[in-house]
Amino acid sequence: MRRGADASRHRALSREAVIGLSLALAYLVFAAIFWAYPFFWLARLSVTQWRFFDEPVFTGGRNLLLTVQDPQFQQAMWNVLRFLAFYLPIAFGGALLVAFGLQHVGRGKTFVALCFLLSNVSSGVAVSLVFTKIFSSTGPLNAWLFGWIGVRVPWTTHPTLAMLAIALVVAWKFVGYYGLILYSGLLTIPREIYDAATLDHARPLTRLFRVTLPMINPQLMMVLVFAILVSFGLFTEPFLITGGGPADSTATPQMMIYETAFRRLQPSHAATMSILVSLASYLLVLAARRLFERKVVIA
Amino acid sequence: MTRESIARLVRSRSPGGWAATIGIYTLALTWLYPFAWMVAASLKPTAQIYTTGLFEGDFSFDNFRFLFATADKLDRPFLQAMGISAIVTLSVTASVIVTSAFIAYALARLRFPGAKLFGDFLLLQMVIPTTMFILPLFVLIKQLGLLNSLGALIFPSMMSGWGIYMMSQSFRAMPEDLLDAARLDRASLWQTVMKVVVPLNKSIIAIVALFTFTGTWDNFLWPLIAISDTDRMPLAVLLATFSKQYGGYAGPVMAGAVLQTLPLVLLFLLFRRHFLQGMALTLK
Repeated sequence: MRRGADASRHRALSREAVIGLSLALAYLVFAAIFWAYPFFWLARLSVTQWRFFDEPVFTGGRNLLLTVQDPQFQQAMWNVLRFLAFYLPIAFGGALLVAFGLQHVGRGKTFVALCFLLSNVSSGVAVSLVFTKIFSSTGPLNAWLFGWIGVRVPWTTHPTLAMLAIALVVAWKFVGYYGLILYSGLLTIPREIYDAATLDHARPLTRLFRVTLPMINPQLMMVLVFAILVSFGLFTEPFLITGGGPADSTATPQMMIYETAFRRLQPSHAATMSILVSLASYLLVLAARRLFERKVVIA
Repeated sequence: MTRESIARLVRSRSPGGWAATIGIYTLALTWLYPFAWMVAASLKPTAQIYTTGLFEGDFSFDNFRFLFATADKLDRPFLQAMGISAIVTLSVTASVIVTSAFIAYALARLRFPGAKLFGDFLLLQMVIPTTMFILPLFVLIKQLGLLNSLGALIFPSMMSGWGIYMMSQSFRAMPEDLLDAARLDRASLWQTVMKVVVPLNKSIIAIVALFTFTGTWDNFLWPLIAISDTDRMPLAVLLATFSKQYGGYAGPVMAGAVLQTLPLVLLFLLFRRHFLQGMALTLK
């Protein structure tokens, strides 16, 4: 009797296991084709010479050497840092403003959040085309600036301003989302800490830097990591707004990979680039966490 | 609102607090300015876009008419591109939802050898940036002979590790007795998932569907690489090439931008609760 029950339970379990395994297997087959196989090709391309139609020829570390020495690739990697130099202050400033704003407005919270998040879900292509017009020399932004202070700003034809323009567009897109992340951190700060700070006669600025910002360190880190990933993945906005110009000053690694593979027809070179770019973004994220991550301890 | 309650509301905040409130609402509305400008520009003759104020000018649907009728003759079939975008986006979304629901059910609720390893594999996949794969994916699609076809846009996205992972997290929280009941009734896999699991997890399924939809509709780099024939291009790519070649037609370009944005904005406004919920989920 008991053995019979055991056996039937065992059989039921194995039927369950068969279903589970075959479902997992369906995904693994898909991943093998569209994930592992490309992964294998990426590794293969990085150590061979190939031009889309011939057989790959093994060249060892030559691609790596060529890529590291490529001045355009160096420029593109440098541009990531130039982008971050503009983007981080704008994104963090804006996100903090949104977070404190959400905390402040109370009843209209959802409306304010939706206004800031609409840019996040809308189309990158459409938005880039709109900002191309807004930033153009005769566009509404310049018309407004001219009427206000009498200058026209060459937004897309000056190397530094062009990068600022790209950073502004990308910040416009993500500030709402980052703000929401920081706001979720603000919600976790216990009221008593502020009361204690007020009792100690802490000024608002002291409160911000000594209490609020350290308390939301996990959320700030999250925004920083997202911002780094965004900066390495940048393509649509610079591709459509500046085309990488003037003189490669807004060319991003993803644009370089695209140009190298499909315009200059050097896929091996491009494969090496994409591995290096992923590695660089991983290392920068790691460095950022080492430098700025703090454990929040409420004693 | 009665006068008293307004008075109470006014008194409840300091002058500085009121300034901050007005400031934040102003900033929020400023954030919408590019959308307002886009819609206004799409309704004006190109010559008036830069010379008139936001709400001035001769508004008409001429730019949209141009896009659907004249652009066709310039080898820019916008109506067809919208159809392609719709087909690709809907089939990818449908496929991702169905496959994710079943596989996530297996991962979350069925005991099978290697289940833990499978979950770890999904996490590993999510850590590695997808942009790295675009070039070798092109090689694969070329080998399969799928370049310049809708298959190139649909097949690589038919399943989503992220979708499986998100759903499985939610499926784990379901009460066991409902699944026990299904088991006692000898419900098939199909019945269990469709009749028990899906109705109990509508929220997460909506979230996965919405984010898959917006991501696919607005995908740019991959279709730019995989599709080179203008009559196979999805809207995002056709619009970009049109703008590059006929940038002078600012009005029609903005009309195209409106068409590209409209489905996303409508979905966002209709399902705003799910979007906010989904964004909150990714924060955990």
